Amino acid sequence: MATSILSIGQSALAAAQAGLSTTGHNIANASTPGYSRQVVIQGAAQPQNFGFGFMGQGTQISTVQRVYNEYLGVQVQSAQASQSGLDTYYTQIKQIDNMLADPTAGLSPSLQDFFSGIQAMASNPSNVPARQTVLSSADTLAGRFQSLAGQLNEISQGVNSQIQSSVSSINSYAQQIAQLNDSIGKAQRATGQPPNDLLDQRDQLVLDLNKEIKATVVKQGDGSYNVFIGNGQSLVVGTTTSKLVSVASATDLSKIVVAYQSSSGSTIPLSESSLVGGQLGGLAEFRSKTLEPAQNALGRVAIGLASTVNAQHSLGQDLNGNLGGALFTLASPVVNANTGNTGSATVTASISDAGALTTSDYRLQYDGSNYTLTRLSDNTATTFAPAALPQTVDGVTINVSTAPAAGDSFLIRPTVNGASGIGVAISDPALLAAAAPIRATPTSGNTGTGTIGPGSVNTPPPPNANLQQPVTITFTSATTYNVTGTGTGNPTGLTYTPGATISYNGWSTAISGTPAAGDSFTVASNAGGVGDSRNALLLGDLQTSNTLGNGTTSYQGAYSQFVSEIGNKTRELQVTSSAASNLLSQATLSAQNESGVNLDEEAANLLRYQQAYQAAGKVMQIASQLFDVLLSIGQ
Amino acid sequence: MRISTQTLFDNGAARIADAQAALYKTQQQVAADRRILTPSDDPVAAARALEVTQSQSLNTQYGTNRGYAKDSLAAVDGTLSSVTDLLQEVKTTAISAGNPTLNDSERASIATALQSSLGLLMGLANARDGQGNYMFSGFQTSTPPFVQTASGVQYQGDQGQRLVQVDATRQMAVSSPGQGVFQGGGQDMFKTLNDLITQLNTPGTTGLSTTLTTANSDLQAALDNVSTVRASVGTRMQELTSLDNAGTNKNLQYSQTLSNLQDLDYTQALTDLSRQQTTLEAAQKSFAQTSSLSLFKFL
Repeated sequence: MATSILSIGQSALAAAQAGLSTTGHNIANASTPGYSRQVVIQGAAQPQNFGFGFMGQGTQISTVQRVYNEYLGVQVQSAQASQSGLDTYYTQIKQIDNMLADPTAGLSPSLQDFFSGIQAMASNPSNVPARQTVLSSADTLAGRFQSLAGQLNEISQGVNSQIQSSVSSINSYAQQIAQLNDSIGKAQRATGQPPNDLLDQRDQLVLDLNKEIKATVVKQGDGSYNVFIGNGQSLVVGTTTSKLVSVASATDLSKIVVAYQSSSGSTIPLSESSLVGGQLGGLAEFRSKTLEPAQNALGRVAIGLASTVNAQHSLGQDLNGNLGGALFTLASPVVNANTGNTGSATVTASISDAGALTTSDYRLQYDGSNYTLTRLSDNTATTFAPAALPQTVDGVTINVSTAPAAGDSFLIRPTVNGASGIGVAISDPALLAAAAPIRATPTSGNTGTGTIGPGSVNTPPPPNANLQQPVTITFTSATTYNVTGTGTGNPTGLTYTPGATISYNGWSTAISGTPAAGDSFTVASNAGGVGDSRNALLLGDLQTSNTLGNGTTSYQGAYSQFVSEIGNKTRELQVTSSAASNLLSQATLSAQNESGVNLDEEAANLLRYQQAYQAAGKVMQIASQLFDVLLSIGQ
Repeated sequence: MRISTQTLFDNGAARIADAQAALYKTQQQVAADRRILTPSDDPVAAARALEVTQSQSLNTQYGTNRGYAKDSLAAVDGTLSSVTDLLQEVKTTAISAGNPTLNDSERASIATALQSSLGLLMGLANARDGQGNYMFSGFQTSTPPFVQTASGVQYQGDQGQRLVQVDATRQMAVSSPGQGVFQGGGQDMFKTLNDLITQLNTPGTTGLSTTLTTANSDLQAALDNVSTVRASVGTRMQELTSLDNAGTNKNLQYSQTLSNLQDLDYTQALTDLSRQQTTLEAAQKSFAQTSSLSLFKFL
């Protein structure tokens, strides 16, 4: 029995030692990320029957266990994916929010300066410094558009590089998880005991992976993890991994997208909607829901401004007496053929009505017999036959060179380059068309009281070829008149209605009062009309006219709408990302409360095992003394 | 409840970071004197502020335009005032020329005086404004409106009235085509003077009284015509003054709206600042105290 006491003491000593080293291990890893505290599971050893009863045989350690709650772990992972996604989105959109922060540095001041310049020119049409101010402020305005577009473009490039680094992180995590699946399996098979620290490492890797993209773990019977992302694409199965690659988009080479590389090496692009959560999901959502619409929205203001101002400007007359040309140059829509297209068709797109433009991109697809044009913002589809080309949708006219192969598709982005591509077309202030190209004059010597309005040029441009041909309206009586002049068809015997619009050759005017028979009026070129500012006044009116969004908003209104959308979305993300952060800290707190190391608790354990060790030593000392008693009997 | 040591530190640090962020935000607002630092702080107000700023900038521009309009109208009025004086002088002279005691040479010297008046009148009709533009030639401001030809003084301008945008919905004519001023109302000042001069240079008194009567009534018609134009100019200048007053009021309203939309309530902000400072200090102090509690100190 004495040998038994010694071995009981020894088992207690060993157990206390194991307890001390486990406590030491816990203290050492108190701040290791993903570490779960470990506990020694100790049980009484198999008792021995001595006939009079079972005698205890000391203690034994069945295992060292980590305190880990799988349910809480999954909650933390899922909260982490959504927090990372929202936080990434928020960080990205905050850049645009900051870009629009200073109201004195945005687009508004330069927009207002440009129209102030137009107004000043309208008040002093022949004044060259006033005209120069218009050109300088137009330059500044175009520069503002370009600079805002440049900043958005930089953000877009930043998104590309972050997607690349996120993809390489995901691949690295996937490989490490697969390796750990292997090591854990081997360790478990060899010892039958859980390799706690390896398990912690693997769970931490899954958590890190969730920071990049939402990943779902399916635990296998043998304890290995299979990891899936997106719409169920497998990333890790047992000890093998699949690879994600970052590739240029098939429809837009300047855009990096994520593709799935199959074992054969071919790549399958993952749709942006399947990338959910994590940094990658946040970047994809930011790009498709905020950045691209922002580029388009700004482009739409630029194209809308440039084309409506150009249209009015072309109806005017410059200081040299010529019809106005374009004041702004503007960017054409971008058309990208899918790199997978097999046909040789090229698609062209042009803006036919800037007022009808939306901020969306479009996809044109050919199924072999019909075309389908899909507005990507709301997936509204228009189907039309090849005979219906050229087709105009939302102010964009689309034409196709030859029939594409069935299944070919094209991405049409009408306004994406609008802001970066705007420029000022003229540099000579004399070329600003402040005057109207025609003027109406009563013939001197008229005896009646008839007066004629100043005359205006009909919209839309281009102006009528005979616009400036002299036209004479001669009254044959107080109620009838004849019209003579190139382009009018020389009608006779027309009935006079005071104040009614008289329109020929692309101009309109009105005669009122009571003309006498023989009175005449002429409408002719406004040669020498350098003091006329009728067209400048009409240009000035554009500032407050609802020219965009099918006549619903002005330039400033469209820009304010853009600012407000960014502001609202940023605010929304501020709230949702902080809610997700709270959720994550709650989940982390719950998991940590269970698995985390509490140093006070470990201090108590140290004392407990230290005392157990001392007590075990005492047991062995007494066993030894008992043995000494036996030995002394024989002496 | 069991709390892990790491949670204690993480949460402590997070609370301090939150308190710091709030304090920083308020400090930024105070330093920038703006309630809305970025559009996300108040998206609706930020967008509204942009539009009100445009309205205010337009209102200011209309004020500037009214300044141009006033200058132009004042130049027209000043010239027309000289024309009135000149016509009245000519009228007096014409009446004195009817004195039956005058002889041919005395009438010829009156004619010489009238000739110089005609020159003056031509000068006034071809007057230019401060920028060198002819005031009375309609749109063709670089073309002299009146030229002397063999068949009398001809108008070369047009009937265009130069317009200035003086308010959101008001375009005001700031010029009067010279034909209506100098040759309108059934008279032609130049012809009247020319006829008068020709008559006075003609020896004898044949037709003198008829010519003088016609000249007298034509001159009166010319004076009436100029007065009508001047009255219209005066009315427009009055309108500009009242538009100026309305513009000043509008500007004040826009400033107030903008201030309501984006200005910082300093009292509130400074109160917030000191409250947030207290919170931060409390968070720091309590963290330092609780984190220093450890059983290991007693072992």
